[in-house]
Amino acid sequence: MVLLPDLLPQPEEVAEFSSATSSRSWYHYLLIAVSLLFTLVSVGFVLSILLKSLPTWAHTGTLLTSRVWQPPNGPYGGLAMIVGTLETSIIALAIAGVVGLGTSIAIVFLIPRRLRNIVATFIELLAAVPSIVYGLWGFLVLAPFMLNTVDPWLNSWPFAKEVLGTSGQEFGSSLLLAAIVLSVMILPTFVAISREVIAAVPQDLIEASLSLGATRWQMIKDVVLPTARIGLFGATFLSLARATGETVAVALVAGGVANMQFHLLYPGTSIASWIALEFGEAQGNEISALMALGILLMAISFSLSLVSRWLVNRQRKLLAKV
Amino acid sequence: MNVAGLAPTPDTGHELRAEIRRTSQNARARRVLVSRVMMTLCAVAITLAAVPLVMLIFELLQKGIPVLDTTFFLKEPQSPTLLSPNATGGVSNAIIGTLALSIYASIMAIPVGVLAGIYLAESDSKLASVLRIVSQTMAGAPSILMGLFAFSFIIQDLHIGFSALAGSFALAVLMLPVIAISTEISVRNVPQTLREAGLALGAKPHKISLKVVLPTALSGIVTGVILAISRAIGETAPVMLVIAGGYTDSWKPLDPVSALPLTIFMNAKSEWPSLRAQTWGIALVLVAFVFVLSLTARIWASRKQKVGN
Repeated sequence: MVLLPDLLPQPEEVAEFSSATSSRSWYHYLLIAVSLLFTLVSVGFVLSILLKSLPTWAHTGTLLTSRVWQPPNGPYGGLAMIVGTLETSIIALAIAGVVGLGTSIAIVFLIPRRLRNIVATFIELLAAVPSIVYGLWGFLVLAPFMLNTVDPWLNSWPFAKEVLGTSGQEFGSSLLLAAIVLSVMILPTFVAISREVIAAVPQDLIEASLSLGATRWQMIKDVVLPTARIGLFGATFLSLARATGETVAVALVAGGVANMQFHLLYPGTSIASWIALEFGEAQGNEISALMALGILLMAISFSLSLVSRWLVNRQRKLLAKV
Repeated sequence: MNVAGLAPTPDTGHELRAEIRRTSQNARARRVLVSRVMMTLCAVAITLAAVPLVMLIFELLQKGIPVLDTTFFLKEPQSPTLLSPNATGGVSNAIIGTLALSIYASIMAIPVGVLAGIYLAESDSKLASVLRIVSQTMAGAPSILMGLFAFSFIIQDLHIGFSALAGSFALAVLMLPVIAISTEISVRNVPQTLREAGLALGAKPHKISLKVVLPTALSGIVTGVILAISRAIGETAPVMLVIAGGYTDSWKPLDPVSALPLTIFMNAKSEWPSLRAQTWGIALVLVAFVFVLSLTARIWASRKQKVGN
């Protein structure tokens, strides 16, 4: 999978010999020039967004603390979007993590060997479905269902109105709906990776535990999951990164309003979808404020990706030892 | 030895053994039960996972197919009016826009990505290790950021304006790390013996790289490129800030264009039911595009395996 190539068994490191760089030919310099260009583009990517966001950091320090987003003169507070991002992606991850882990176990240990490849292909295809399609489905199919069935039912619980907010807002758009759509969307990603991680657990370990009389579940719980643990964390962080960075699906189903109360059944927004929705009409310093939100998103995404990469490397070393 | 000891003694361990057998049987029954319950839960999980995904595909086919006709593919869009609420026109502008965007983006991203990937695989310099971290981090960056970058760089700094060029620049930045990473992997997968054979024949290192390593790694590289293109085709966020959603068919890099995902995003909330219905057709076409590309990539990948064997 291109998604997370590090998870696959890596080929032997290329030894001392390297055909392209050992001589000073034109080819060598071409490669270096192109690599420098790539690095330059990436540096430019960070710097250009950072520079455009500077006015916001300099003038209003409200981005992290205020809930009010008031163009054209500010203040520009990002708290509602930050909390919205956290709420939607964490709920999505909780759903997709539990269901996805069960699915991966079922694919590896329950489904007949012959069907396994077909299911795996199907899931990887689903991971490639553009997020806008999930968003469209959430908006046209799931939202009416939430509006008429799920939201009123949730609201009938005691204290639900105080905690979740009143149901039935704007076509069923809500942070909860966004979280559900996100969970459906990141599920194939999570399963594609975790299935691979679980399938990579050495067969010897599995057979050893079975020969000691472990039941299937004991084998999974005590041998497979601990061995695959770190890789599974990696899959989790990668899915989390995909959920926090998701833009258009959330923009379609969350309702796109700065949700002041953080209520789940109210329409809300996330950092990425707020940038997408506001950008069209933004002028002057609002653009800079949106760029600042972009920097925030970049910081979140980069740290998630660093953590997941570190975890995946540990898993690879662990498996190499076994 | 005591003679009395020879007499059969009453088996005092009997009850203990029976107790042990009973507890162990109970424990085993419990373990088996727990195992059955948990495996059933896993089966429930896979069903739960399948339901929305199957529903999505079913809905896509059921609502998408009726919308597809020649108007859909060949006509430019028009706004429905009260007198003709079903006159939505087609989405030819978005189809052409998506094709144009992905072609221009490929032209920008493929050479740079492939060469950088080769460099990553064949060098252990500082630059390579920096570039590896950079490309892996960029591969995970939210796509809306590429849109912000294109806006900031192409539109604000270079004053080029909302155009296919700006959109394809954003998509190229998105594709670059994906291509570089997959190229690196497939070049690394080329057996070391091939390189050594080349060296033994006295070939120059860059000749080996170009004439031995690259052809062997080619199908892997192509797979990566196709997957990168299929990802770029489906992306809405990077292009929505910079291509201005033009309503006319245009292949020109400097014209505003539209794209299939962007059209879905714009029309999903339209007040016209006909436009909302049309979005299902666009989604179906988009998914078909992506599936065909992914399956092609898989076929290339399996070809690679055959060559490898």
